Amino acid sequence: MGLLTNILLAPFLGPVWGTKWTLDKIDRVVREELTDDTPIKEDLLALQMKLETGEIDDAEYVRREAQIMTRFREVREWRERFGMSTSGGPVRVAESGESK
Amino acid sequence: MTAAESAAAAAEPSPVEGKYVYCIIRNDRSKEFGEIGIGSGSRVYTVSFKDLAAVVSDTPIVIYDPTRENVLAHEFVNETVMREFTLIPMSFGTVFRSENDVLALLRSTYQAFTDVLEKMQDKIEFGLKILWDRDKVVAAIERENDEIRRLKDEITRNAASSTYFARMQLGRLVEAAMEEASNRYVADIHEQLKDVSVASRSNKVIGDRMILNAAFLVDRRDEKSFDERVKAISLQYEDLLTFKYTGPWPPYNFVNIKLKLEKAI
Repeated sequence: MGLLTNILLAPFLGPVWGTKWTLDKIDRVVREELTDDTPIKEDLLALQMKLETGEIDDAEYVRREAQIMTRFREVREWRERFGMSTSGGPVRVAESGESK
Repeated sequence: MTAAESAAAAAEPSPVEGKYVYCIIRNDRSKEFGEIGIGSGSRVYTVSFKDLAAVVSDTPIVIYDPTRENVLAHEFVNETVMREFTLIPMSFGTVFRSENDVLALLRSTYQAFTDVLEKMQDKIEFGLKILWDRDKVVAAIERENDEIRRLKDEITRNAASSTYFARMQLGRLVEAAMEEASNRYVADIHEQLKDVSVASRSNKVIGDRMILNAAFLVDRRDEKSFDERVKAISLQYEDLLTFKYTGPWPPYNFVNIKLKLEKAI
């Protein structure tokens, strides 16, 4: 039984330490990917360009724009979850900015 | 506010009235710009502090998605204001909770706004995007470049025996010639627009057909000359390039004031 357990679990037990390190790294990569809206902005600009050059029609534009807006909202939500700054929404002058 | 809440708020406007800020102008009396605000076409008016004014409209506290409709509404207000004033555009979606918060912005950034308005006095922006037709440019390169033409002829003549290496060599030469051509066109266009513009800025190109995505800052006095020059250049390159010319815009690409704003919960 003991031997069997070892054999069965070996592939899982073995790389645990390594896996944890990798997970941390993945976590960081994933987090960056989840919270970066640069590629979404680029997609939106590219979409507008396609409409301008006549590659897509208006209906197609509207459909794809809706998808892009959903992605924007998702990124905004993740950024909020990670306590990062978000664009849009209510703002006020930061305390430090009001020194004069 | 989470995105979910913002969606809910959009469906059912919250009673709390915020101020959507479009731009900052120099004006010391109150001014109305009509019912052209973002969202539902609400009244656009000014909130003044000394000789500065923020152009605003009332809005529920929501996050505006950068949809075409919303972005156009934002731009349309700025275009309207621009007919009479030099303006500093605010970034899309900037919402303050109250008039007092808008006044705090004007007060704390008074000097920077004043300086930039001074610099931007009577300046407008034009956008110029240039796309090329790859096939036409390749054809032009083959006409002009002896080495490429010779190599291509050779490969075509000896289709069966021509080596992989020769084809690779041709591909590489064409690629390099295209990059050289793109740089040459862009440099020439910049050179021709130099004396009719105050400044220019190149942005990242969008898609694989674009070779230039630039903004030009132009003095209102030179608007006509700039216009004519762009038209002349587009005629010159008619066979190779497509010009996407837009404006006049507020100086979006030439104003960079880092506002110290924080999220208002």
